[in-house]
Amino acid sequence: MRGVHVGLAGLIVAVFLIAWLETKPALEDFDPVRHAAFKDTWNQRVHLAYWEKWGSFEADACQKMVDTFNEVQNEIFVHYLRTSQVDRKAMLAAIGRDPPDVVGLWNSNVVPFAEGGALMPLEGLMKESGLTRDFYIENYLKLGEFEGHVWALPTAVMTMALFYNKEHFRSKAAELRAAGLDPDRVPQTIEELDRYADVLNEFEADGTPRIMGFLPTEPGWFNHTWGYYFGGRLIDPETGRITTDETANVRAYAWIKRYAETYGREKLLRFKSGFGTFDSPFNAFIEGRVSMEVQGVWFPMFIRRHRPQMEFGVAPFPSAAGVPGPRSVMEQDVIGIPRHCKHPKEAWKFVCWVQKEGIAILSRLQGKNTAIRNPPAWFHQGHPNLELKVFEDLALAPESFIVPNTLVGQEYRDEMNRAFEHIWNWPVELEKKSALEGLTGAARQAKIEALCREEVARTLAEVRQEVQRQLDAKIARRRLQPGSAD
Amino acid sequence: MAASLRRHLTGYGFILPWLIALVLFIGYPFIAGFYFSFCDFPPLKSPAFIGLDNYAELLEDAKFQRSLGVTFIYAAVAIPLGVVLAITLAMFLNARIRGQSFYRVIYYIPHLIPTVVVAILWLWIFNPKFGLLNIVLAGLMNLADAWTGLFFGLGAETPGQGFVRPEAVALLAAPALAAVSMGRLVPQWVRRRPELKTFLASVAAAGCVAALVAILNAALHFGLPVDAKNLHSPGWLADGNPLPSFASFAPSWALWALIVMSMWGVGQMAVIYLAKLQDVPVELYEAADIDGANWAQKTWQITVPMISPVILFNVVMAIIGTFQIFAEPYIMTGGGPEDKTRFVAVFVYDQAFQYQRVGYASAVAWVLFLMIVALTVLAFRVSQKRVYYAGR
Repeated sequence: MRGVHVGLAGLIVAVFLIAWLETKPALEDFDPVRHAAFKDTWNQRVHLAYWEKWGSFEADACQKMVDTFNEVQNEIFVHYLRTSQVDRKAMLAAIGRDPPDVVGLWNSNVVPFAEGGALMPLEGLMKESGLTRDFYIENYLKLGEFEGHVWALPTAVMTMALFYNKEHFRSKAAELRAAGLDPDRVPQTIEELDRYADVLNEFEADGTPRIMGFLPTEPGWFNHTWGYYFGGRLIDPETGRITTDETANVRAYAWIKRYAETYGREKLLRFKSGFGTFDSPFNAFIEGRVSMEVQGVWFPMFIRRHRPQMEFGVAPFPSAAGVPGPRSVMEQDVIGIPRHCKHPKEAWKFVCWVQKEGIAILSRLQGKNTAIRNPPAWFHQGHPNLELKVFEDLALAPESFIVPNTLVGQEYRDEMNRAFEHIWNWPVELEKKSALEGLTGAARQAKIEALCREEVARTLAEVRQEVQRQLDAKIARRRLQPGSAD
Repeated sequence: MAASLRRHLTGYGFILPWLIALVLFIGYPFIAGFYFSFCDFPPLKSPAFIGLDNYAELLEDAKFQRSLGVTFIYAAVAIPLGVVLAITLAMFLNARIRGQSFYRVIYYIPHLIPTVVVAILWLWIFNPKFGLLNIVLAGLMNLADAWTGLFFGLGAETPGQGFVRPEAVALLAAPALAAVSMGRLVPQWVRRRPELKTFLASVAAAGCVAALVAILNAALHFGLPVDAKNLHSPGWLADGNPLPSFASFAPSWALWALIVMSMWGVGQMAVIYLAKLQDVPVELYEAADIDGANWAQKTWQITVPMISPVILFNVVMAIIGTFQIFAEPYIMTGGGPEDKTRFVAVFVYDQAFQYQRVGYASAVAWVLFLMIVALTVLAFRVSQKRVYYAGR
């Protein structure tokens, strides 16, 4: 019996001893294989932890950027730690006062991180390092700003355009011409986009789509921005008030609802459920299930990865007739320095280098345009994105827009997604539908929009009230918080 | 005295690690959460006391009210359905048949699969186009439609015809009549041949089922045409519309999907019922047999009262579980479509981690806790006169 006691106690002691003696892995640990090139300077360098997202070839691009930085100087070594859900993990690390030295976030994270004091303001450091506003395309810089301070700077940027399947356009050339449309050019207005889509549609015998000319729910990532293509806005820049249900936005979402009702919600739902994931050969556009789609600057790289021979074109996504264009929503990934990080001075040196040289490397390898106004000459040479010019022009277009940073940015986006789903799914009453009998073409489409407008307006008004209530409440609560940015 | 003290100390010594963990990881967050519920607390800042503001906001927060509605609707449908299904399954598993242990294991196995795996598996089952469920459902609905079409004029496909086709209904009348008359009007020569009697009874039962399918399907097509149409290929997780469509408070198709999925783990409940079922004294059934009680009477008068303490236990556990349901909606729908699967637990998570409102999330969590306590107390109160404890 005594022996058993001794054995168990010994086991416990052994476990604790092993745990105690085990050396924790540290950034500074030298790996003779991976870090062989830095052997001589390893111990004299300051080691920085850089938490950043990305996967696949985009992660390789980020690694290349970091490697370049590590090679061009011998004072700092940056460790790129690929991190999923980087925003949540960075937030928890900030709460625990043990953040990384540099963190890569999305522009939608800027306000909550800045407001919570988790990021360092950068405008002073920018001034010291000669990074001026005109170095950047204005909108991209604005995405990292909040309440007069710069909290984060751009890395990879996003502009959106219309992708169209040239094979589909060619195979339907005669029908397009018969409808008075030119198969060799792209739609110039949303009204024209509808007409092109109408010709490009193909259906099974039971009416389920086989190919959709255009589908507003695909890919469904920017459901909150449709109003801008009709001349609407989500926030009044003058007053900061929420403007969800202004006329142009109502028009935009009634237009979307028209697609659901014209082609049948259930049929479209079945059609959509056959799509594969974004980064796969079964992506709806890559597979040829959708002829025209609004997508981002990254998309050509994914198309060529999965279907290198695909013939596709890219053009600015059209606006409604009478609304000036071209225009695109602009968003981006950002890089910032968390407060209470271990090496803020060195972190800035890395961030500054990323701005001056790194993002050109990153963007080129990821196949994107950059946030800087005048990228170096080598940036364009052999750039893998052959459609880059469209996106660069869109980034500089005066009508391109950002959704301004607000205290309730995430809440607003979520509410808009809910409203979008409601508008799309809401069943138009049967008695109302009987009003469509005998109508065809444009008259039918106009009638569908008219039937849906009231519910669309009501839904958007509901969003406005809810988001405004949340915004007002948040502003009121901020005044109670000691050390708020007020 | 010394021996008694040592015994006590040994006992406490054994539970000490658990006690420390309880105080640190449950007790402290429990109390701290209560304090935070009276604070504005963005996680990156210090909590600022705001009194009852968070609780007041709950009253006007439409999103919270929607999530509460979703949780209650789910509980109202899934809990009774789960109990009935589990008891039925337990009764089957209790039957003395060959391979009894095998069946018990098979029905229990689903409970052992991790929630995330189950959620991803069901995502495929619910796929509107390629999902197993819709393929089977579409086949069954088409069969039912073809069958029903023989007896009833189904909408616009049979213009000019009456609603009911008398000649077809006559076909159904025979087996239905046979079913009614079984046992009384069966001639002696049939009674003497049990295999013939069984055969006729089977024909009558099949006829009744066929009639029931035809009548229910016709009623569905004429009463709820939209739902009848949707049943051929539901959108499940992507469809936020209610079923039945005329009742806006009814569970959405997406919520029905989660309810159906929740039956996946019913084997675990069934095993608990089974343990109790095996505890029911055989003498009670024998006495009932002598009194001439049939199967239904025995079930209602003996089985259900005898296993009632376990029913109460399972219902209480199910109430608690329902108000904590998180992983399935988080993985499968993210709370959508249109917040129709945003359970209160998902709402709490969103507030704390998506919108950085730890104070408000704590208030919701506390309201949730009080609701669970209230519903548990209610379940005990309601069951006081209906639960039979043999020991008392």
